[in-house]
Amino acid sequence: MRRVVVTGLGVVSPFGPGVKAYWAGLAAGSCAIRPLTLIDTGSFRCRIGAEVPEIPPRSPRRSRADRLALAAAAEALDDAGLGPAERRGAALVVGAVGGGMMEAEGWYWARARGERPPGWAAALRAILPTAHAEALGHRLRLGGPRHTVVTACSSGAVALAEAAELIADGVVDVALAGGVDAMTRLCFMGFNALKLLDPQPCRPFDRDRHGMSIGEGAAFVVLESAEHARARGAAPHAELAGHGMTTDAYHVTAPHPEGEGMARAMTAALAAARVSPATVAYVNAHGTATPQNDRIEARAIARVFGEGRVLVSSSKSMIGHTMAAAGSLEAVATILALAHQTVPPTANLTTPDPEVGFDCVPIAAREAALEYAVSNSFGFGGQNVTLLFHRG
Amino acid sequence: MADPARREVVITGAGVVNAAVVGDSSALGAWLSRPRAAARSGARPAVRLPEATLAGLIDPGEGRRLSRVCQLGIAAARLAVTESGVDPARGLGLVVGTELGDFTSTIAFADGYLARGAGGLSPLLFPNTVMNTMVATSAIAVGARELALTLNVPTVAGELAVARAAAAIASGRADAVLAGGVDELDPLVTEMLEALGDEGLRGEGATFLVLEAAASARARGAAILGRIAGAAWRSLPARPWGVGRRATSTAIAAAVTRAGETPGWLYVSASGDTARDAWEVRVLSAALGGDLPRTASLVPFVGHHAGLGVLHVAAAAWTSRSGVLVAGEGGTPARVAGGGLVHGLARGGGHVAVCVSAANHSS
Repeated sequence: MRRVVVTGLGVVSPFGPGVKAYWAGLAAGSCAIRPLTLIDTGSFRCRIGAEVPEIPPRSPRRSRADRLALAAAAEALDDAGLGPAERRGAALVVGAVGGGMMEAEGWYWARARGERPPGWAAALRAILPTAHAEALGHRLRLGGPRHTVVTACSSGAVALAEAAELIADGVVDVALAGGVDAMTRLCFMGFNALKLLDPQPCRPFDRDRHGMSIGEGAAFVVLESAEHARARGAAPHAELAGHGMTTDAYHVTAPHPEGEGMARAMTAALAAARVSPATVAYVNAHGTATPQNDRIEARAIARVFGEGRVLVSSSKSMIGHTMAAAGSLEAVATILALAHQTVPPTANLTTPDPEVGFDCVPIAAREAALEYAVSNSFGFGGQNVTLLFHRG
Repeated sequence: MADPARREVVITGAGVVNAAVVGDSSALGAWLSRPRAAARSGARPAVRLPEATLAGLIDPGEGRRLSRVCQLGIAAARLAVTESGVDPARGLGLVVGTELGDFTSTIAFADGYLARGAGGLSPLLFPNTVMNTMVATSAIAVGARELALTLNVPTVAGELAVARAAAAIASGRADAVLAGGVDELDPLVTEMLEALGDEGLRGEGATFLVLEAAASARARGAAILGRIAGAAWRSLPARPWGVGRRATSTAIAAAVTRAGETPGWLYVSASGDTARDAWEVRVLSAALGGDLPRTASLVPFVGHHAGLGVLHVAAAAWTSRSGVLVAGEGGTPARVAGGGLVHGLARGGGHVAVCVSAANHSS
């Protein structure tokens, strides 16, 4: 199997468009979780989230999520310096959940009032998760294998794993992969209904955490075979050294209480990369800030890497839970941590949970010698993914 | 020549749940063997599974707890695993294609809010608004604990699930994967699709197949229903929801090269969408030569849904064993030999080719 490297990064995050803004926000420990403006939050206990402050101009033909995806994907392709010929054969794998639901909700809400708003056809055409891949493939002229994966909150990370397999197996030399989700009423209302949202900005791994904050964004990476990158003189940001994908087969929303599937995903990633747990110094956790999930994830990390042996932090403390984008945004955070030899912090963490036996890098980023780092993503339905990156 | 580094992939179990046939590969074979009437029911062209049929496949607890599309999925998944005899505890992956997911639950969840505000939101319905709900419930139902993916694409979701699952086995990353497709009809979704100009016969149902590494299947003495001799997915240039102009298919070339044999017969996606169907014919003609081999489609009998692509693969396995290619309504079945191709092409450019042959067939 061929080695897979990361040669392009692109992000649109609640810190704004661009990788530079993203890393600046993460490294500063800034929290982008604020009162929501895109959704009517009047009747809900939680009224905050992490919205993207500026995205490319509104288009009647494109959903907000498509615009987020296009901006992030274009940045990744430019960063990689891929020419038209390489793009024509490139694979495209998109992790998605909400699709263009935000605009479709607008249509449905209006329909319930007996209206037929303008632009309804475009809204309905963009409603499905697959719409992003069609928009990206067409606009960016990507002609290789294309698919859309939906694994709930781990979708963005699964997209990277899927693309890595296409490259490792020799199907393609280059792939664009990532995840995207825009804010939607359904998502906000659903997590409210499950009572999983904290009315204050989320506090992963804090003793007094009360749930998550939702966010939106997109992150895409260009993955490439190491030989192909070398041949065209591209400088890798990192190597995607291994990945593991497992399923709990336990419950539709709750993770396995011992984190059995999570631990198997981490172990599988290490095995794929043929490295020992001792080589890993940092875990970018799924870290949703729900009381149950953080404790179970910490238990699973301890089982694989040893209690207290790695630094652990959660990017969701700064950008919220960006759903299908979370896995790819956090993969980029992990790659940037390796590149800068700096672990981004867990914001809002003031009273560490005594049941979480790790240094979760509270409040301020920390310099660290990092050779390998892990990004964990876990979705509803027990859909676990671990990506293992090696310093480029 | 086939790539010797890749492992041989075989089919060892099938589960089919749709308006025309319910059961394993034997039930499917019996249905394919006899004359069939094309389906047209109700005011709209749609083929809906009778509720009593589904209730008979699901235990009452699941019937109360799970959405209808999840019930379709787990019913077909169980049938396939039971026929295969594969032991999920030894490692079983799951790859499911769907076009529409659980829109019925999504609509019900939104309606709860619109009718009663925040108090009308159901925490039980919310997980179903995420398209992987059928994978989550099927994984629990059969104990699949490895790779689990939901793939979303119009028209070719089922074919894509089979191709993706076969790739996992061929590469050595998995020994056994349950590959399926599932969709249900919802009145509002049908209305939306019609408003967008969707043509053709829509249906609903689920078809699942157990795919295994041939060596593993033979080692445990499993009956082999057919081989996935080659599979590939690519994209052709097209606008979102659009039909493209280009007819050069790298998916067919990749699948056929891997199979090492030109297909002697075809199952095609033929969705009833006139422009898309014409594009598919152009693509096939460019890849296989002007005079296409004998061609079949089960769309007229079960309607188009994500389970159809998987059903076509199951039917292709039956054709490769029996040497019979099914006919359209009132037509005469054809005698065919060798391996065949299951082909899918979607508006927007999603494109899948799966070469299927008999277990004992060597190219």
